[in-house]
Formats: sequence, C-alpha cells, structure tokens
Amino acid sequence: MSRPSPLSATPLLLLAGCSTDAAPSFSLAGAYFPDWMMCAMFGVASAVGLRVIFVVTKIDSILRFRLFTYSALGVIVALSIWLIWFGP
Amino acid sequence: MKRVHLSSGKPVGIGIAVLCIAAATLLGMHVAHEDNAHPSSDSGVIDAEFVHIATTVGGRLVELPVHVNQHVHKGDLLYRLDPEPYELTVRQAEANLALARAEVENQKRLVAVKTANSIVAQDQTTRAQTNRDLAARTVERLSPLANHAYIPWQQYDQARVALHDAEVSLKQANQQSAAAQVAIGDLKSSLAAEAANQAALDHARYELRQTVVVAPTDGYVTSLQVLPGEILAPSQVLFTLIADDAWFAIANIREVNLSVIRPGDCATVYSMIDRNASIRGHVESIGWGVLSADTAGIARALPLVPREMDWVHVAQRFPVRVRLDHADPALLRLGATATVEIRHGAACR
Repeated sequence: MSRPSPLSATPLLLLAGCSTDAAPSFSLAGAYFPDWMMCAMFGVASAVGLRVIFVVTKIDSILRFRLFTYSALGVIVALSIWLIWFGP
Repeated sequence: MKRVHLSSGKPVGIGIAVLCIAAATLLGMHVAHEDNAHPSSDSGVIDAEFVHIATTVGGRLVELPVHVNQHVHKGDLLYRLDPEPYELTVRQAEANLALARAEVENQKRLVAVKTANSIVAQDQTTRAQTNRDLAARTVERLSPLANHAYIPWQQYDQARVALHDAEVSLKQANQQSAAAQVAIGDLKSSLAAEAANQAALDHARYELRQTVVVAPTDGYVTSLQVLPGEILAPSQVLFTLIADDAWFAIANIREVNLSVIRPGDCATVYSMIDRNASIRGHVESIGWGVLSADTAGIARALPLVPREMDWVHVAQRFPVRVRLDHADPALLRLGATATVEIRHGAACR
C-alpha cells in the first residue's frame, strides 16, 4: 500500500525554486504566470497528496465530509504558501 | 470495508472537518485583507520619457556621428544639416542690413542738406521782410511830396509798385521757408528699415544655428534608420532619444486598492529582463483619468448609452507611476514587462 506518489514530491521541488527576492510572476515558455496560480496548483497537489498520505496511514478512515475537509486543507496550504513566499 | 466500519458515527471526523473549513475561511479572509492592503500588479511596464529629435529647418543631412542604440550625453552632436543655404541667407541678410545702414547715412546727409536749405529760406524771409519795410517807408515818405507835386507822380507810382512787389516776395519767402521746414523730414523710415533688416539677419543666423542638432538630455538613440544624404523636411523627426536620467514603472492598479496608495510610498519593481533583481522605487503619482468606454463619444453630441443589463462590473484600473530610485541600466528598457509591488516586496523591507 505504501506506493510512492509522484504528486506529493512535485510541490516540494517547485517550492525549492521559489525565492522571496524574485518577482511574483513566473516565466514559462515565453508567458508569465502569476504567483497565485502557482499557489493554487500547490494547493490542489497538496490536497491530493494529503489524501494519499491519510489513506495510507489510515487517518482517512476517521474523517467525515472528506471532499470539504481535503478542499479546506488544500486551501490552507495554498494560502499559507502565498503568505510565506509572496505575502507582504 | 474497514474504512466504512471505522468512520461510521465518529464525531471526531465532523470536528476535524469543521476545524479545517473554519481555518481555511479565516486564512482566506486574512489573505484577502493583506492583498488589498498591499496592491501589486504583474502587468506593469518600464517607462521613460523621450524626445523626438527634429529641427525646425530642413535640408540635406551631411553629418550623423551617432548610430542606433548608442548612448549620448547632453550637448553631444547628434546630426548636422547642410549649412550652405542658411549661410547664404545670412550673407544676403548681412548685405541687406549694410544697405539699410547706408540708407540711414544717406538719409542723414539729406536731412542735413534740407536743414541748410531751410536756414537759407529763413534768411531769405528776413531779407524779403527788410526789403518790404524799406519799400513801405519809401512810399510813406514820397506820399506827402507827391501830393504837393514836389516830385513827379511817376516816381511815387514806381515806389508803390516796388512796395507791392516786395510784399509778394515776402509772402513767397514765407511760404518757401515753411515748405523747406516741412521738407527736412526725419530718419524714422530708414531706421525702421534698418531694424527690419537686423531682425531678418538675426533670424537667418538662428536658422543657421538650427542646422546643428545636439542632445537635449542624456539618453539612448533609438529607431534611427537613415544615413547622411537623407533630405529632411523642417520639423521631420529623425529618431527618438530615450532619456535615461529618470526611469519609471507604470502599474495599473484597481480602483478599490487606490485608497491605500499615497505618493511617496515605497515600491518594489521587478523588470522581467531579470526577475531576480528587485528595484526600489517610490510612487510618484496616480493617473487622474482614463478613457472609459461608457463615456466615450463624440464631443458635443448626445451621450452614447448602450442597452445592457450587467450585474457584474469589472473594476477600473488606473496607472500608478512609480519612479525607480537606482537600477542596473541593463534592466531598463522602455516597454519591458514589470511586476510592481506597492508598500511591500524585497526592496521595501
């Protein structure tokens, strides 16, 4: 059951590239993407990652309203990243 | 099967869900507040002032020591037009001025001659007056003698004719004197002609100076595509000089966030030429007006009001002008994309 998840590692790799002294706008293939879009991606990825971790560690079985819970966790992660990396 | 068994009737799960949703909501409100208090824009542009380099006179371009994208300093020679036509005009104007000055001298001599003539006419008036007085006295003396026939009547008659003759001469001398006085005139017309020619010469010299164009400010030569030999019309723009003494970032900020922005606020600007280099700046001003599609219309006509039923209105944005304090010149190119963070960012900590 403890299979490695490719999604859980992705946010960490992307976070390593973030720096507080750089512009909150990312260049990708000649286009600029805003910081909040990156944070939203991290949020979605972390929600999926947490779901996988909780299923593996059996925590998932005690949760109720899982859709709302995991969505809220994803939002918390995304907003926290924004506050830490890009916030004032 | 096991998951269903454990999750059934567990109030802990409900508690965790409520906790997570409440935390996400509170955090969301906090972030929204922070975001409104620290406006930013990722669609700004790097901006600078520029001068369209042209000159008020036309002619053939004979010297062009600058080339495109070169940096120049204030006062450097930018280009030179063929000065020959303007030198010829200056020479012509100088000749005209010399002519006018000679005319003034001529007029002075003429006035002197006419003044002398007037004096002569005045003297002749005096002489005519003396002659007339003598003739009058002669008639007065001869009158009683003629009445008593001591002298021939012919002699008395001749004296009376001589008196009449002298009176006519006096009248003519007076008229001649008055005419000579009027004929003296003055130097006004020739002096005015001299002043007009002086002004024409000054203008010709000004135009000659305009054939040499120097840099009005430090900056970069851009969009220069011609070589010497090109014929330029008066006021034709040859290239654009981007002034590099002051650089700006223009950030369009939504109107709902404008109330927290004050001129002088610190701003962090990133030129996307190097997104890792933060540039410190400060808010210089906020645009006072933008053209709105709802109010656009032909002036003096009736307002153009489209029929619509919009429930959601997108916030208007206004350009906020941020003056950059110091920056690496390599990051500054007019029109480059800029990310602007007002009242926060790496440069404002």
